[in-house]
Amino acid sequence: MIEVETLRKEYDGLVAVDDVSFVARPGGIFGLLGPNGAGKSTTIGCISGLLSPTGGRVRVQGHDVAREPRAAKARMGVVPQEVALYEDLAAEENLRFWGEAYGLRSGRLAERVRTVLETVGLLDRAEDRVETFSGGMKRRLNFGCGIVHEPEVLLLDEPTVGVDPQSRVRLLDLVREQAAAGVCVLYTTHYMEEAEALCDRLAILDHGRIIASGTLEELRGSMGERDLVRLAGTLDPAAVREAVRSLAGVEVVAVGEDQVALAVPEASRRLPEILNTVAGTGAAVRETTVTRPSLESLFIRLTGKELRE
Amino acid sequence: MRFLLSAARKDLLRIKNDWPALLLWIGIPLMVGGLIVLVFGGDAAPQAKLLVADNDGTLIGRLLTGGFQQGPLADLVVVEPVEPAEGRRRMEDGDASGLLIIPEGFGGAVLDGEPAALELVTNPSQTVLPEILEETLDIELEAAEVIRRIFDDPIDRIASGVVGDGLPADTAVSTIATAFNRSGEQASPWLLPPAIELETVAGEGEEFDFGRAFFPGMLILAILFMASGLSIDVWSERRQGTLERALVAPRSPGLWLAGKWLAGSAALAAVSAIGLAAGRWLFGIQAENMPLAFLWLALVGLALLALFTVVQVLARSERAANVMVNAMTLPLAMLGGSFFPFEAMPEWMASLGRLTPNGWALLRLRAVMDGAPEPGILAVSFATAAGLALAIGWLVSRRLRAWAA
Repeated sequence: MIEVETLRKEYDGLVAVDDVSFVARPGGIFGLLGPNGAGKSTTIGCISGLLSPTGGRVRVQGHDVAREPRAAKARMGVVPQEVALYEDLAAEENLRFWGEAYGLRSGRLAERVRTVLETVGLLDRAEDRVETFSGGMKRRLNFGCGIVHEPEVLLLDEPTVGVDPQSRVRLLDLVREQAAAGVCVLYTTHYMEEAEALCDRLAILDHGRIIASGTLEELRGSMGERDLVRLAGTLDPAAVREAVRSLAGVEVVAVGEDQVALAVPEASRRLPEILNTVAGTGAAVRETTVTRPSLESLFIRLTGKELRE
Repeated sequence: MRFLLSAARKDLLRIKNDWPALLLWIGIPLMVGGLIVLVFGGDAAPQAKLLVADNDGTLIGRLLTGGFQQGPLADLVVVEPVEPAEGRRRMEDGDASGLLIIPEGFGGAVLDGEPAALELVTNPSQTVLPEILEETLDIELEAAEVIRRIFDDPIDRIASGVVGDGLPADTAVSTIATAFNRSGEQASPWLLPPAIELETVAGEGEEFDFGRAFFPGMLILAILFMASGLSIDVWSERRQGTLERALVAPRSPGLWLAGKWLAGSAALAAVSAIGLAAGRWLFGIQAENMPLAFLWLALVGLALLALFTVVQVLARSERAANVMVNAMTLPLAMLGGSFFPFEAMPEWMASLGRLTPNGWALLRLRAVMDGAPEPGILAVSFATAAGLALAIGWLVSRRLRAWAA
């Protein structure tokens, strides 16, 4: 279990993470969702013991990371955002070294190295140097190095960035297998669809603070049953905002000179009415998008911007 | 302890896999050493080429240039007759060490005891060889003047005798020979034996062996280059994320660093052992001095690796680290007695060089290899090198976490 209480981290006076609290439980996948620079990696850094928090407390399997770092770290596996492997060593030698770093020895080590190679689909490339691997293979081995010692808690920092679709599916399956085996998984990503497909609990981070958290259903529910309608073109933001007020149940989520985002109940039925109202302000609409309630629409509603911005 | 060995094993594998770099670290100093030995210590002595444009064509001019081809000078100076114009052109091309122009009437002037001038054009791009030519010519001219004064009378007779077209009469030859004999007899009390006698005393012991004198410096140079190259690995580990991964493992950063240095020391020790074995084969290093020399080299390698690692972790980027380490390595190599022996440096530079870490190490290595180390000084030296490595290791391991993050 990971318990994070009022975590705060400052760098030279700049607050990277502020008042972050959550609990991730064994057998579950807890997602930390947010755009680049939201504070996800800093949070992972504080949990893994790489960074010293400015304030707050982190416990891993009941061990305080600041006070009992060795006990806490021994129970953790970390899969960093960037591939962290010895490119000049073979896949097997990489797994062997990281297994030894977590205290595995002789027969048990050999068994785990073989099992992990099999799990990540690299058994036939065990003796090949990592520098000869494709990006997807490196990502899988990177994951393997994080689980070789059978951690109770697994921290994954955007493990699928830059991965081809096939390897991504394989990696996500591997993460699910870990959770199914009872491991407490903390997963950071800025891919909404990935978080929706993988995580049972989520916290959305923006500017270092949690702006929403809960189960997927709870977060979707907070959007209500409203769809997200985006109209792109040339707009007068003030005129559009004023005109939309006349539409019952329609809320302006964000508006700019080239786009307006609206939360609309039963959007497909009310679309003609909305388009007429917006066009009545003199706007030239070139593109219309309707999105069902999702984390993406929730994020836009909460922050007024898209997740990937 | 097990993790220390795991980390060392991992880095030894990586060093082994990167064998071209290893060869380069060993090869560069050996190549430099070989070149130095070839250039300065080989059997072939440098030769000065003297171009002679003899416009006079008399016996005096030939005696003068013949002086350059007598005794040991014959090995050092090659005399080549040329026309004046060709001589000047070749000097402009830097084709010779000097051009001697003997003007017309030079021989007559010498015989008559009148003032005479020679022109010696020297090559400004050379230093030692033209100076040898100049000094030799000065000596020859002074000798000619002395002979002129001693044998003034017979020379005057020759001068008056050769003015005519025909050969001198028998009586004139006889008179000249008698005059030479008398002048010689008069001068013999202070010419034979010479008033000043030069006694050359050769030092006892083995003949100076240039390669052997340079060999300890080459070993230290190889260790210096290798330690500098190995230290860069902390940046490689940081760049590829493995340092960060190591820091989130339940192991001390100090152990990770110690493993890295242990592997580096093992590689340095292996190179030292190969170098010493080569030294024994090529230069006859005494076998009984080799174990201590090996230990000293391995420890010095570790201390240098530690020193360069500090520079690496103080730099703000990998590029800056490389520049800083290279900027340190080359002057250290130049000053530390490996490229140029301390004995050949100006005293202020030699004093500075002896204070550099590699210069300091070289002095002790020489003492060990000569079988004449002072036990007290050696013990302090071993303790200093080990203490330096330990202190730096402690400091760097404390800084690693902040540096990696």
